[in-house]
Amino acid sequence: MLSLFFDAVLALALPLLAWRVLTTRDLYRAVILFIAFGLLVALSWARLDAPDIALAEAAIGAGLTGALFLNTVGGLVGRKRSPSRESDESREVAERREAIQSSPGEPVDEVMRPWWVRLALTVPILALGLALGWAVVSFPEPAIDLAQQASDNLEASGVDHGVTAVLLNFRSYDTLLEIGVLLLAVVAVWSLDLGRVRGGQAALSKGLPVLHGLVRLLTPIMIIVGGYLLWAGAKQPGGAFQAGAVLGALGVLLVLSGLVRPPLSDGSGLRIGLAVGFAVFLGIGTAVMLATGELLNYPPASTYGLIIIIELFLTVSIALTLAALFVTAPPRKEQGSKEHSEEKGEES
Amino acid sequence: MGLIGSNWLVVPIVLPLATATLAMLVGRRSAPYLGLLTASGILLSVAAIGLTVLEEGTIRYQLGGWEAPLGINLYADGLAVFMLLMTAIVGAAVSAYAVGYFTSRQDESGRVAGDSGDRSGSFWVLWMFLWASLNGLFLSADAFNLYVTLEIMGLSAAGLVTLERRQSALSSGMRYLFVTLLGSLAYLMGVALLYGALGALDLATLGELMYPGAATWSALALITLGMALKTGLFPLHFWMPAAYSNAISPASALLAGLVGKASFYLLLRLWFDVFDGGLGPGPGQVLGLLGAAAIVWGAVMAVRQRRLKRLLAYSSVSQIGYLFVLFSLATTASWGFDAWSGGVYHAFSHACAKAAMFMSAGAIVRSVGHDDLDRMQGVGQQMPLAVAGFALGGVTLMGLPPTGGFTAKWLLVSASLESGQWWIAVVLLAGGVLAALYVLRFLNPALIQVKVGPVARPATQNLEVTAFVLAFGSFFLALLSAPLLALLRIGTPFASVLLVGTP
Repeated sequence: MLSLFFDAVLALALPLLAWRVLTTRDLYRAVILFIAFGLLVALSWARLDAPDIALAEAAIGAGLTGALFLNTVGGLVGRKRSPSRESDESREVAERREAIQSSPGEPVDEVMRPWWVRLALTVPILALGLALGWAVVSFPEPAIDLAQQASDNLEASGVDHGVTAVLLNFRSYDTLLEIGVLLLAVVAVWSLDLGRVRGGQAALSKGLPVLHGLVRLLTPIMIIVGGYLLWAGAKQPGGAFQAGAVLGALGVLLVLSGLVRPPLSDGSGLRIGLAVGFAVFLGIGTAVMLATGELLNYPPASTYGLIIIIELFLTVSIALTLAALFVTAPPRKEQGSKEHSEEKGEES
Repeated sequence: MGLIGSNWLVVPIVLPLATATLAMLVGRRSAPYLGLLTASGILLSVAAIGLTVLEEGTIRYQLGGWEAPLGINLYADGLAVFMLLMTAIVGAAVSAYAVGYFTSRQDESGRVAGDSGDRSGSFWVLWMFLWASLNGLFLSADAFNLYVTLEIMGLSAAGLVTLERRQSALSSGMRYLFVTLLGSLAYLMGVALLYGALGALDLATLGELMYPGAATWSALALITLGMALKTGLFPLHFWMPAAYSNAISPASALLAGLVGKASFYLLLRLWFDVFDGGLGPGPGQVLGLLGAAAIVWGAVMAVRQRRLKRLLAYSSVSQIGYLFVLFSLATTASWGFDAWSGGVYHAFSHACAKAAMFMSAGAIVRSVGHDDLDRMQGVGQQMPLAVAGFALGGVTLMGLPPTGGFTAKWLLVSASLESGQWWIAVVLLAGGVLAALYVLRFLNPALIQVKVGPVARPATQNLEVTAFVLAFGSFFLALLSAPLLALLRIGTPFASVLLVGTP
């Protein structure tokens, strides 16, 4: 009874929060609501008996994504609007902005959305919602039970936890490509050359002894938690993604508190750290072809060991990737930095 | 087949992934050489896969040694190899082009309007990831794995658009990213519904279990909508002109030539292998109608453009229409294979021609410093090879023999007459005339004999040559139609392969 009540509250709160996230004009408030939304989604996953996804959602969906959004909003605070746009702005918009803004300088969503735009958006969304609801209600009993097949083959997978077996053995190819997506995300962000929108150098970094003490205290704890999650992943919920998320959050904390300088280290070291997870995964996946004849088909005797090695390196790269996305300052190599500073000089 | 034989299948995916990782570490000075090596490796492996498929039929490869539906399979039939081949040819040409494009910019004296360089040295990493994702998409036999390849594809393509440092490129790249994410999410939602209803992700298994019902209809609608958005089917093409025309030219060539084809391929694969031809004749008619509208609308808009790269972008809006016409023609009837292979053939010839035209345009824009159509007088004397490449590509778009566009139109037109939908044939032919009009919008001023001096910034020979070679290939593509159609027949979903109108 109580759990039913809890589920009902969750089911009501999720769409309500989602709607508030989308309609709140104050961006800072919207981000906080988004984080709350992410935590409730994580709770829902836990209620659906999917603790792995719940962990990942809480750490990445709510935690790190929320931190990235806060970073962005922080970057927008107090940014001078260009004079040309200021003069173009109609008085109506200016008044509206004043009405929305609680305090001057806070970033707000200024895009005007007349009623017909809202209506035009509402109709397809309602149609989609109805179609999805109808589809889900009318699901037949699936002809194939993949979960059953996965647990039947668990013994041959080298690990005792179903989710880890799927991620690193049955569907390891998907995971390999997903790690590629993480690496690619960093490269894509770096290619934007966002030198000036450097995050992580918030005002926090200056002389806050309590913060520094706290972070120093948290650092070993988070490393142990990350290590435990990684090791536990072979038998129970946990694994490289969750461990990487915890360690990535630690990286963000270290940068925010000023204990580590933003471009985490010099360029090539960071590059190697980011790429090593993907490189090791790809390397092992290809090397086992010599033994078994197929990509990513581990030899039965060494399956467990290979999976743990892969997960270890994945954790390092995932943590660094998440922290690097937060910091965004791309490490420049060779003549790149010179060119860039020249261009900056021209602009100013 | 042996150990090596079937393992050729993973080379076009693993090789560019390895190169991308290496290119990230070695920096941009040696990255181009790695890129060229990879391009030749991919060409070689695709040729090996093609020969194997021609001789021994389709190949299925179990990744990780797990059988489908528990594991993920790769699958190569005629269509997949056809698309691999298209990607390998266009990709190799763009790679060679990019070497000249990025290295020759160091002796630049000032900022040139239109095209700038790759300051962060990310081009090769992004492009290798993109290539791996394209090959992975063509070979994948798993609905969720296709989503992963779509993600890599969208992210790397958006990264390529924003390599151009101007504000307009940044905003159109950002919009492209949102569009492509929205398309992928719609696809993912469709896959989730399929998994919920049928319990599997393997495409062949899904095809066997398919039934018309609420979940499958919703899945079909979501997947089709998402892929139509990513391909840029009228009226969902709103993001295309800005993204294609603001990107650096190698990226424009890749986007217009290959990326749009990949989402089209995905739709084709799912419609005919999983959804049994769209769960009935109605949905195919809708796509066909939109395709016909795209042919006319895109061409009319292209004629009205004042900038070279925007003209090419709207031409893509029009040419994509030809691809979607096949959905209203490809049925189980005898002309089904004609329509299907005609559309696929059009994808091939358009990929080569449009990539070549964007490469030519890129060389021209770099040299003359603008892409204003009204100021192109006499460019033909300054850069004869680039203009010739553009013209050859243009003839392919018009669909005159012996170009690949001719084979494609022949097949499509004969299928539409055969099926009694003659109005489609009218639109197809009108599209060719309109294509001639917008191609001449550039060629007319370019070929005028006026007194011209040397260009502001002579392009390296490499740019013009690679563009010309690719255009030349697309021009004579009809001569290869017999072996290519034989390839397409392997593993085709159309049972009765009766070629009514082989040219």
